[in-house]
Amino acid sequence: MSSLTSTSTTTKSGAPGTTGTGRLPQLRQPLSGMTWLVWRQHRAVFWTILGASALAVAFIVFQRSQLHTAGYDPTSTGLRLMPILLGVLLGAPLFTGDLENGTAKLVVTQSMSRTRWLTTKLALTALVVVVSTVALSVAFGWWWTLYDESTAWEWTSGPTFNNTGPMPVALALFSVFGGVAIGVVLRRTLVAMVVTLGFTVVVQIVWSHFLAHFLLSLANVVTITTNKGVTFQHVMPTLPPGAHQVNWSNPPYITSDGKLLGWGTCNEVQTEQAHELCMKKADVVGWSVDYLPISQMNGLQWFGASILLALTAAVTAFLFFWGRKRLV
Amino acid sequence: MSNGMYAGDSALEAHGLGMRYRRGWALKDCSFRLPAGRICGLVGPNGAGKTTLLSIMAHVLEPTEGTLSVFGAAPGSVDSGRTSFLTQEKPLFRGFSVAETLRLGQELNPGWDQRTAEDIVRAGDVPFDAKIGTLSGGQRTRVALALALGKRPDLLLLDEPMSDLDPVARKELTGTLLAEAAEHGTTVLMSTHVLAELENVCDYLVVLSGGGVRLAGDVDELLSVHTMVTGAKEGEDLPASLAHHPLVESRISGRQFTALIRPDSPATGPWETDKPSMEELLLAYLRSPDALPLITPTAQAQDQDQAYNTRTVAA
Repeated sequence: MSSLTSTSTTTKSGAPGTTGTGRLPQLRQPLSGMTWLVWRQHRAVFWTILGASALAVAFIVFQRSQLHTAGYDPTSTGLRLMPILLGVLLGAPLFTGDLENGTAKLVVTQSMSRTRWLTTKLALTALVVVVSTVALSVAFGWWWTLYDESTAWEWTSGPTFNNTGPMPVALALFSVFGGVAIGVVLRRTLVAMVVTLGFTVVVQIVWSHFLAHFLLSLANVVTITTNKGVTFQHVMPTLPPGAHQVNWSNPPYITSDGKLLGWGTCNEVQTEQAHELCMKKADVVGWSVDYLPISQMNGLQWFGASILLALTAAVTAFLFFWGRKRLV
Repeated sequence: MSNGMYAGDSALEAHGLGMRYRRGWALKDCSFRLPAGRICGLVGPNGAGKTTLLSIMAHVLEPTEGTLSVFGAAPGSVDSGRTSFLTQEKPLFRGFSVAETLRLGQELNPGWDQRTAEDIVRAGDVPFDAKIGTLSGGQRTRVALALALGKRPDLLLLDEPMSDLDPVARKELTGTLLAEAAEHGTTVLMSTHVLAELENVCDYLVVLSGGGVRLAGDVDELLSVHTMVTGAKEGEDLPASLAHHPLVESRISGRQFTALIRPDSPATGPWETDKPSMEELLLAYLRSPDALPLITPTAQAQDQDQAYNTRTVAA
């Protein structure tokens, strides 16, 4: 209905062409209001992100459907860099441009509230980030389920854990909103981008430490035991695909009364017969290997992602608190 | 004409407005009233607090102390669509075309008047498909003005609107502005330091200096209560018989003196008296920051009605 009234006001007096050049054409647009403005202002960077993500997804899907693994490692590196790139190129400049050249004043002196402007900008940015990272995460996760059978990429490794499931989304959102907050406080595009670069790199480093030293310790360790002895070739029992073997120094051998013996057992013998004899003497009946099964991956990813999303929510709250007064 | 019509209606009312930045007070104890429907010049030296005052009125800044009401409400509280603010830098999105800039106005303002905006742009022969970044200063100001007026504001705040324009464009845009304001009864508050330009434009004046109001009121009234006195000097000073009139400013050149006074009785004597021009009046107040401030009754903030009487009587 609002479009109806606006049409009637613009054409109420005089037919088109009365002033020589005519009225501007009234095109029906999918976007309106603040959403139109924000999309129009940032459409170049939004389309670049969506386009680049679409290309990457297409590449991954093609490789996966051909059962190829070429390009897997560069892709996983690219995905790890994505939160940094998004934070620096999308987050940091989101408001600094408006603050630097005064268009913030132009927008807040129109009839819509500052909160509306802030909300729309953050929402559209979040939408673009979520759409591109979800697509990449799903595609890469699919590729990984192929790769984990041919090579030993464990689910606990950064390139797998952080690039699949909800993790890329959470890391990217936190990096981007952190960049927005840095930009809003520092008010200078270049400075904000440099500081955001530092911030996002630190986020990556801290996160990998957090993953390795805290998050994974929450997982339940599963032990696989065998009773077929241990051969001279030391063929370990096969772990389920993608499983992460815990701590290689743990005792790998189990005796008939359930005692665990370490790697050093019968290490010094040279021949197969001597090894078999030695193992028998030590009463070793088989392997005992601790591992983290892949079934725990999803739960831990969601737990980790929710921590990052909670931090993102805190940054957003700060942005609204700060932006109400100082965003001009 | 608007004097009687809008005598009761306030467009703006400031009570003890103050704004402190890290480096100090930019505005201090600023109280005045602007009746609706007037074209008001906001005059003051650089750093007098003009931009700060306009920004508070436009709800871009929040004052440190004091209150301000725009048409009886706090700025931005009820309907910010009633106020348009054209800042000194006239920021526009450089990558937008002229048509897109007008669309911005349409998308963000419920009361948008596309016809008014387009007509202002068209009158300057600015192509609608041109990018803002490629326009000349005058064209850009015209588009910014179209954006400000297309909003159909009841109060239009302009910060040095014509400062970067050549005289022709300046005259043309001032004409456009006045025509629009007259047609819709818009109240205009316009800061400037080109005093000569105010003469045929403003019917109301507010002079800011050192962060405070020095002079505020209807132009005719302000001019009528002041007298320009020119005569021969006595010794090294003004004639003693002039001394009992409140003095705004005096200057001595050769054997002559010129003084602007605010006489409370006819200033008769061996000198010539004349009505000051607006420029003379403004210059005198700008040069004498210590002169007693004058705020005429229509420019008094409502609850301080008595202040005017006591001040003038005491003076």
